[in-house]
Amino acid sequence: MEATRADRFSRAFVEYWLRPCAVAGFFVLVAFLWTLLFQHLVSYPFLFLFLGAVMGSAWFGGRIAGIISVILSTLTIDYFFIPPLYSFAVNQVAQTYTVTFIVCAFVMSWVSATRKRSETAVREARDQLELRVAERTAELQQSIAEIKESERRLRTLTEAIPQQIWSAGVDGDIDHCNQHLLEYAGAEELNGDKLFLLLHPEDEGMFREAWEHSRRSGEKLEGEWRVRNATGVYRWFLIRSEPQKGVDGRIERWYGTHIDTEERRRAEQALIQAQMELSDLSHRLGMGELAASIAHELNQPLMAVTANAYACREWLRASPANIERASTTAEKLVQESRRASDVVARVRALFRDEADSRGSVDLNSLIQDLVRLIHDDAIRRKVTIHVELDPNLPAISADPVQIQQVLLNLVTNGMDAMMAVPARRELTISSRSKGTAEVHVLVQDCGVGVNPEMAQRIFDPFFTTKEHGIGMGLAISRTIIEAHDGKLWVAPGNSGGSSFQFTIPLQP
Amino acid sequence: MSENFDRAPALHSTVFIVDDDAAICEGLCNLLESLGMDAVRFGSAEEFIADWQDRPGCLMLDARLPGMTGVELQEKLRQSGITIPIIFMTAHGDVPMVRKVMKAGAVEFLAKPFEQEEMIAAIRHAFEMDSSRRIEQRELDAIQSRLDTLTPREREVMHLVTQGLLNKQTASELNLSEISVKLHRRHVLDKMQAESLADLVKMTERVRKAQPK
Repeated sequence: MEATRADRFSRAFVEYWLRPCAVAGFFVLVAFLWTLLFQHLVSYPFLFLFLGAVMGSAWFGGRIAGIISVILSTLTIDYFFIPPLYSFAVNQVAQTYTVTFIVCAFVMSWVSATRKRSETAVREARDQLELRVAERTAELQQSIAEIKESERRLRTLTEAIPQQIWSAGVDGDIDHCNQHLLEYAGAEELNGDKLFLLLHPEDEGMFREAWEHSRRSGEKLEGEWRVRNATGVYRWFLIRSEPQKGVDGRIERWYGTHIDTEERRRAEQALIQAQMELSDLSHRLGMGELAASIAHELNQPLMAVTANAYACREWLRASPANIERASTTAEKLVQESRRASDVVARVRALFRDEADSRGSVDLNSLIQDLVRLIHDDAIRRKVTIHVELDPNLPAISADPVQIQQVLLNLVTNGMDAMMAVPARRELTISSRSKGTAEVHVLVQDCGVGVNPEMAQRIFDPFFTTKEHGIGMGLAISRTIIEAHDGKLWVAPGNSGGSSFQFTIPLQP
Repeated sequence: MSENFDRAPALHSTVFIVDDDAAICEGLCNLLESLGMDAVRFGSAEEFIADWQDRPGCLMLDARLPGMTGVELQEKLRQSGITIPIIFMTAHGDVPMVRKVMKAGAVEFLAKPFEQEEMIAAIRHAFEMDSSRRIEQRELDAIQSRLDTLTPREREVMHLVTQGLLNKQTASELNLSEISVKLHRRHVLDKMQAESLADLVKMTERVRKAQPK
């Protein structure tokens, strides 16, 4: 602190005393020397140079230097140039002159110092202004660069999203399409109305109506329409457009996206188809109504057979035996037995009508379809389904609906078997090609497993361990696989549980 | 079995078979004939109604018939006051229907195909029901015809005395002298062929019970 104070003091000393003294001393000395040189050329004491010295001191040294130079000049003039010379006394004649000089010197010193000060202030202000401008300019350049960068990033983003994006003005004319959209349409640009001309003729009217409505009401546009691609093929797209609104709530622009829904639509349709086929089959295989009507169909001729058989016995037992009635009754018996066997044949035909629907079947896609189908059920039953498919699995000749039914039976059984285990309910469906001769499918669960004596009977009709089962699932499954010349069996699973497996030969 | 039936009291009883399956009708008729019974067959409920005559016997009725079903026929017969015993037959094991027809008074429910013994037991039971019903009906008819011979005054007197009123009370109720009440009462007992007042009470009770509510 002490040092600082001394420091400050010494600086003030230099600033307010030494420098002004030096400046004033210098100018006064110069003026003195020049005046000494020129004093004999003019009659009267030549003092204007001292006024110059005062002015210079005030200009360059400030107000203090000005005052010091006034004092120094006065003393020097009084001593050297005002009679009596070489004395500080001033005679009567020179008094007015001296006072005039002092006043003039003071005024000059004040004017010069003030001028200098205001000029410095102006210069400082100008410098500051320049500095500010430079700063602002730098800031502006920075933000412009940032805006450009963010715009570039947005552009990159619109190109990076695997979606078709466009933007349109308030009038509904498109002014920008991203690269994906242009590539899809195979066009250089689609501005104005050109994009909408790509819509399917059947959809165009509906789209334009919806687009008009959105633009008028400000509601977002959403719908599925077909759009033509570069090769002239139409695909389904989910077209959405949302308005960008300004601060006053007025619509400024429209942004649109096209999402390809063709695959999803196809998958949905295939799924619905598969579900319908499955429910149709399960309806046919469902025991309830079917069993009742088969029972009725069979019981009718059996009743006639029974009644006639008893009657035949009675006619023969009578004394004397009525051979004629007995023999006509036996004839009826044969007829009615034939009728019963016709019913059985009809029932069998009911199950056999799928025989002609065999085609080339990709087991992997059947498995994937099935997993999609039971996905919700699996989640509900807290079962995790793993799928391990052989990518090189050859296609087989089979009835897809029947194979689907087998897969569904095996997977459902697997999930049922795991209901008793609280943790780790995992079901693995895998496909493998076994050499070039056959394909092999495994459905492994982590359930309670199958003991050897159960394994003996598990494929028998009406064998069930389930409370609500009818015991036909595995029997039907084995029948189907055997109809495809394959084999269906059960083995203990790798990680507990059981592993149901079937093979189907490639060339039946 | 057949010998049993030959000597059965309901020898002249007939089994009416209603089934849309001609082979079953024929087979059952054949069996019943071989057992020495009379059988008549009908292809539908409507045919049976059209041909209806009150003859002793029972009805073997298929539950599921085209047109009027077995259950509907049972209801229609009950409404018409025809009390022929009904044995139901069906090839469907339809539990709610069984319960319904049994509640409505069916004798038996046979699931097709049924055994001869089952059928005979059911038919015998039905015949017994029919014949006892007929005897009962005959007696009721006799009582009714005797009742019809009573004068209105005799009927009034009978009504009150069978309610347990004394002659004196009956007289005051009907504004008659006790002597004339006694006279009417004697006539009633004579006409009704009742041996005692208790006998008369029993008869009136039977008639009252038989009358539809």
